[in-house]
Amino acid sequence: MNTVSRDRLMLVIAIVLAGIYLFPLYWMYITTIKSGSEMFATPPTFWPTNPQWQIFGDVWQSRNMGRYIWNSLVIACGAVIVITVLGVGCAYVLARYRNIWVDIGLFLILMLQVLPASLMVTPIFVGFSQIGLLNYPRLAVILAIAAKSMPFFVVLVRATFMSVPQELEEAALVDGNSRVGAFFNIILPLARNGILVSAILIFMQAFGEFVYSKSMIQAVELQPASVGLNSFMGPNTNEWNNIMAYAAIYVTPILAIFVLLQRRIVSGLTSGALK
Amino acid sequence: MTAQIELTNVNKYYGAYHALKDIELSIRKGSFTALVGPSGCGKSTLLRSLAGLESISSGTLRIAGEVMNAVPPRKRDVAMVFQSYALYPHMTVEENLTYSLRIRGVAKTERKKAANEVAAVTGLTHLLGRYPRELSGGQRQRVAMSRAIIRHPKAFLFDEPLSNLDAALRVHMRKEIRALHDRLGATSVYVTHDQVEAMTMADHVVIMRDGVIEQQGSPLELYDQPGNKFVAGFIGSPAMNFLPAVGGQDGRSIILDLGVKQAIVLDREVQPGQALIVGLRPEHIELAAADEGVLSAQVALVESTGATCFLTMATTPELSVVFNGRSEARAGDRVGLNFAPGSIHLFDANTERRLPD
Repeated sequence: MNTVSRDRLMLVIAIVLAGIYLFPLYWMYITTIKSGSEMFATPPTFWPTNPQWQIFGDVWQSRNMGRYIWNSLVIACGAVIVITVLGVGCAYVLARYRNIWVDIGLFLILMLQVLPASLMVTPIFVGFSQIGLLNYPRLAVILAIAAKSMPFFVVLVRATFMSVPQELEEAALVDGNSRVGAFFNIILPLARNGILVSAILIFMQAFGEFVYSKSMIQAVELQPASVGLNSFMGPNTNEWNNIMAYAAIYVTPILAIFVLLQRRIVSGLTSGALK
Repeated sequence: MTAQIELTNVNKYYGAYHALKDIELSIRKGSFTALVGPSGCGKSTLLRSLAGLESISSGTLRIAGEVMNAVPPRKRDVAMVFQSYALYPHMTVEENLTYSLRIRGVAKTERKKAANEVAAVTGLTHLLGRYPRELSGGQRQRVAMSRAIIRHPKAFLFDEPLSNLDAALRVHMRKEIRALHDRLGATSVYVTHDQVEAMTMADHVVIMRDGVIEQQGSPLELYDQPGNKFVAGFIGSPAMNFLPAVGGQDGRSIILDLGVKQAIVLDREVQPGQALIVGLRPEHIELAAADEGVLSAQVALVESTGATCFLTMATTPELSVVFNGRSEARAGDRVGLNFAPGSIHLFDANTERRLPD
């Protein structure tokens, strides 16, 4: 088999796998605009005969989605800000110093990443309740998400910082800058891409976060869209088209961001590794 | 003579590792000093200590008379050229050049003027708007130099600045750096592992090994009077021949051991029976007819570059000979070797120190 036909075969396999992977997404969009009867038709139709476009407006209105999405945005932005401000400094230190304590610190940070949210939520709930943080439930969720996602951010941004040569910083010091000045003037602009990409990934995670929000936010008017979607579904749900419409409205902005920035995201993720 | 940089009894430890040992060094204002030695000898650590990028553990470091031990790099007023050039990749050449001025709050018009002046000197005028990634290695090197020059610092520190360039460009930049140094009347400290660079560029060469200054002096002093076997072997290319020998019973000759023992009469006295190492530079040995000359040896290998001929003798240890011109000798021929008694360097075999002439 020559190179060309092997490449073609690989391409076909890739397309098939991508198709399988993306099928649920396709099904979500297609179910959204199906009518009630078509939704349960056997055999299922792969393209709706009578698309119901008005469903998006209806669901947005009836479920009060504006408020849910706003809460999701508040939580996601809050988490990104907390993580970026704290994580950048942490990642920089971990990138610049190499000794046994840094290794231990890095190991502990990665350990945090291992623990699943559903396991962490009970102790966090009890702790937050004791110090009264649950009176500010969105802040409580922001802090919980920050704790959960920080390791991921720190590890990614650390790789970015490590790809910035230390000599640049030293050159800035000799050129007359202070350490802080060199960090903000030289290191930060060069690591900007990696930080931005990591922040976007964190944003996407936090925007869809469910476990912490579900358990810590009781008031409906403070709940994010993920919890709202969950409360939409009951044991006897049959309005799948409405649920799918909700889901579509919820994920489409995220998908759009990812598609627009995917080149930068991929290069940002590999920049530390390739250098 | 005023010392621009003065180190007294400087020591540096990394934990238990003793990186610099009792460094005593005085660098004259306007001089070009090379720190040279094998990798890991502490020369870069010493340079970084001058810049303030490393702190010294004990001793005194003075720059222009002021004690600088605990002064941060930005207040030392020295400029450094890094091995990787360390140009700021997100700034244009002009911004790179004027970065130090900007930090010091120099007005924009003056910065621009300074950049233009320096660029004219180093031939960068047409490149001021470019980014470092758009430049060739030699151009980047020039930007790094210009960035140092623009500040009129108390001293220039070079950390192996030519090692990333190809051989031809390296020879060219060597001259250019030295010419620039002379034109600016600057004080320069230059770290290199290449003894040819050190010998050709510097007024004062400092040879280091394992954190110790083995010897310092003018290049020709080091060549003519190496203080020990290490310096003798480090300076000069091809490297000096080292041959084991013992002092002759008459006190005025030595017995060389080249597989076969051969006696050589000296122009000075040695202790009878003392174990010695004889140092003989390849360029101080001349070929002679087989039955003439001080020594006799068999040729093992002849290498010629056209202008220069390198001969390796089939002796133990191997003896190399180099001379300009061409040789009729072929591998396997027996030849005579001649050298002036004055060109012999004698080292004590135990301490490896030079014996007084």
